[in-house]
Amino acid sequence: MSIRLFSPVVLFLLLVFLIGPFLIIIAASLSAGDTLAFPPQGLSLRWVMKVFTIESFRDSFAMSMFLAVFGTLAALVLGIPAAYALSRYRLPAAETVRTIVSLPIIVPGIIVGLALLRYLVVPFGFNITLTLFFAHAALVLPYAVRVVSASLDNLRSDIEEAAVLLGSSRLGAFFRVVMPNIRGGILAAFILGFVTSFNQVPVSLFLSGPGVRTLPIDMLGYMETTYDPSIAALSALLAFLSIGIVFLAERFLGFSRYV
Amino acid sequence: MFQNRAEALALALPAAVFATVVFLLPVAILLSEGFRAGGAWTLSAYTGFFSETLNRTVFLRSFRLAIEVTAVSAVIGYAAAFAIVNLPANGKGRMVGLVTLPLMISPVARTYAWIVILGRTGIVNQAITGLGFSADPLRLLFTETAVFIGLLQLFLPLMILSLISALENMPKDAIPAARVLGANWFQVFWKVVLPLTREGLVVGGTLVFTGSLTAYITPAVLGGSKVLMLETLMYQQVSVANDFVSASVIAFILIVMSFAANILLKRLATARSRR
Repeated sequence: MSIRLFSPVVLFLLLVFLIGPFLIIIAASLSAGDTLAFPPQGLSLRWVMKVFTIESFRDSFAMSMFLAVFGTLAALVLGIPAAYALSRYRLPAAETVRTIVSLPIIVPGIIVGLALLRYLVVPFGFNITLTLFFAHAALVLPYAVRVVSASLDNLRSDIEEAAVLLGSSRLGAFFRVVMPNIRGGILAAFILGFVTSFNQVPVSLFLSGPGVRTLPIDMLGYMETTYDPSIAALSALLAFLSIGIVFLAERFLGFSRYV
Repeated sequence: MFQNRAEALALALPAAVFATVVFLLPVAILLSEGFRAGGAWTLSAYTGFFSETLNRTVFLRSFRLAIEVTAVSAVIGYAAAFAIVNLPANGKGRMVGLVTLPLMISPVARTYAWIVILGRTGIVNQAITGLGFSADPLRLLFTETAVFIGLLQLFLPLMILSLISALENMPKDAIPAARVLGANWFQVFWKVVLPLTREGLVVGGTLVFTGSLTAYITPAVLGGSKVLMLETLMYQQVSVANDFVSASVIAFILIVMSFAANILLKRLATARSRR
């Protein structure tokens, strides 16, 4: 096959495979029929509307939002100083620290969830919501450290040394000189962390209790019992949410520079 | 470079301690559980685990699927990355965006799409029965093929993205030079492109392999209890059988395989490029 024909064919098939299923979900969610089907039987927004009336979805959505926002913030509060120490100081055992904070990305989430359930929740009666919060913060920590490190490495370190020489305190130099310069990186880390935490399943799999469920786990449970288009509608809504966030970030931040 | 060690430690320790307490320690204790029985260190949980046919089947299936997904995504990945790299600048940006897009969508939603496509009343079955290939809808869900397709769609973008950056870092005239010197396309790929993009292939391959090996949602939804993989088996051992020792064994296998893949492939990449 000639190269000129090869490329468009490959790209077309690729998009059908990668994006097609997502378009099909959107179409299925607009169906007026009672069961999941494609092509949709008539057009209506009834299933999209229904999603908002299901109470357990509202609760688990709020839980996922809470975990994604505060888990990521916690990861940043821990991760920014660590990234700063790794990039600006001669840190004893720097490699060990780097490995420890980036391990949560390599170890499968289901193992972390199970371990926390077994050694924190069960023996000590530790609060499940708090455990979930810790687990999500740990999950996002590697991204926070990596993205912030990358923007610190791109920033010349002599500007804060200059500030310190001119009489600023170390802390003052960080907040007045370094912070404004790595703001974009921090925001990118937040968005990446938010999306990762919000969509993540295995870590939270074992960590649910009465009234404590994240949205993806709730969706998985609902899917097992019900075969109507509401999950398609919810999936489509969530996809638009993620895409919207990333799109805005790309527009205003050039998000992809950091990831 | 600041020299103050105390300051450096004060900055880095909170994160390290946090990761150790809520992550490293619990996971380490969980892993040690598979090596202990009645207070003594033993491998009996491991020999017991592998003596059961079901467990062996699941182990081999997970390993095989991860390798298959990695291999197929490498083949498609090269074709796609080639086509994308050769696009004009704005088309290239748009295609990279479209390939990245699925990564931002919840894996639950992405996996769910395959139910709409492969289900009993899904598009594929409608086409098959509608065109008269078969009177009854085929069982496409809860098969290894369904899991394979789901995993491929989930992880293919990672392979494509790493191959794109590898191809872009390749010297621009390497391919024309090889062509001028009389190499056919197969030789160009095998002798020029592959060695020059090996590191990108290894990075993508590691991501796809460990991702497929440790995926939970896709096997759970598209495979169900018919196509158990290591993670879904682990979930069952805990939630159905309350068997934490087997869960610990599976956890250890998963971690060892992920780390082994990381180390082995990294070795492979550096060893080849040193030549």
